[in-house]
Amino acid sequence: MAEFQLPPGSRISNDGKTFKAPEGAKKVRRFQIYRFDPDSGQNPRVDTYEIDMAACGPMVLDALIKIKNEIDPTLSFRRSCREGICGSCAMNIDGSNTLACIKSCADVKGADVRIYPLPHMPVIKDLIPDLTQFYAQYAAVKPWLTTRSPAPPDGERLQSKEDQEKIDGPSACILCACCSTSCPSYWWNSDRYLGPAALLAAYRWIVDSRDDSTGERLDALEDPFRLYRCHTIMNCTEACPKDLNPARAIGEIKRLIAGRRH
Amino acid sequence: MRGSTPLGKVIGYGSAKDGAGHWWVQRVTAVALVPLTIWFLLSMASLPLADHAAVTGWMRQSLHAVPLAVLILTLCWHARLGVQVVLEDYVHHHALKITSLLLSTFVHALVAATGVFAVLRIAFAA
Repeated sequence: MAEFQLPPGSRISNDGKTFKAPEGAKKVRRFQIYRFDPDSGQNPRVDTYEIDMAACGPMVLDALIKIKNEIDPTLSFRRSCREGICGSCAMNIDGSNTLACIKSCADVKGADVRIYPLPHMPVIKDLIPDLTQFYAQYAAVKPWLTTRSPAPPDGERLQSKEDQEKIDGPSACILCACCSTSCPSYWWNSDRYLGPAALLAAYRWIVDSRDDSTGERLDALEDPFRLYRCHTIMNCTEACPKDLNPARAIGEIKRLIAGRRH
Repeated sequence: MRGSTPLGKVIGYGSAKDGAGHWWVQRVTAVALVPLTIWFLLSMASLPLADHAAVTGWMRQSLHAVPLAVLILTLCWHARLGVQVVLEDYVHHHALKITSLLLSTFVHALVAATGVFAVLRIAFAA
């Protein structure tokens, strides 16, 4: 059955530590952060860090870096570009999956800022999920151009402006995994359901006017689990920090598969 | 589950090349159920439901018995497809999944057959 309770070793204990704000802090905000260290043999816990926002950058990633640099160097998280293009710092902030670098602390409505790793993924340490399967799902949709027609002898394969516009949206995906890990169908069946990110990538090649394997791509997706686990609840579109629409892409794939039958 | 590498596990035994028919029929039956359900509810609202003779008299007319039988069949078919989705979503133990799918199919078929039989029996009663 689908599991509605975490296995015993993954349940959050009440052993969280609290790191007080320094004396004279002007604008204190509490950050509650999920902590898990597989080497400790202990269950995960939630640590509380009091941050003086007067001495901290505006984004959640700024606060995380401040914590790691000044308060607790053991805190682990992925980050790189700090401008929403690498997708490394995807995590669950205030109950929603998003990128820490483009999520403003001021936009978190509650008193505390709650930060957890992406939901329902194996946790390597603290806020770092294991994305091995997620990347394998991306690889499985063959995210590259496949052609049978030879390229023009004197130049590249050209595309009309309209055809390019069809792939502008889906090719802006940064594979941060916010969408797939916000999807209950992905939580329950990620071993067989490809998830919104991989399906958006598949759609990007299905609608590419230069690609010659549209039929084979649709064949590979037509499966009760790979594609049809999507029930269009649109958590993916809601979560996407790049404002893309994986739910619409999945709907289009279903429409194309239904369309070729008639 | 087949495969020893992450990619091998995702690819598994490949696509079942199935699911589009299920998806399509679920939508066709949903569309059919809109007018059928509205018709049924309006008819029930206009009938004195406490009066057994009046209701069976209404069912006896071909113009009512035929769409009523169609409603029962469509509803059961649609429900059977919907329950299948729920079972596939949540029941992961393979043998349990197959057994519950089988049971669901039998129960829906039984309900459909009983419903249609009841309509016919009333419709053809002297």
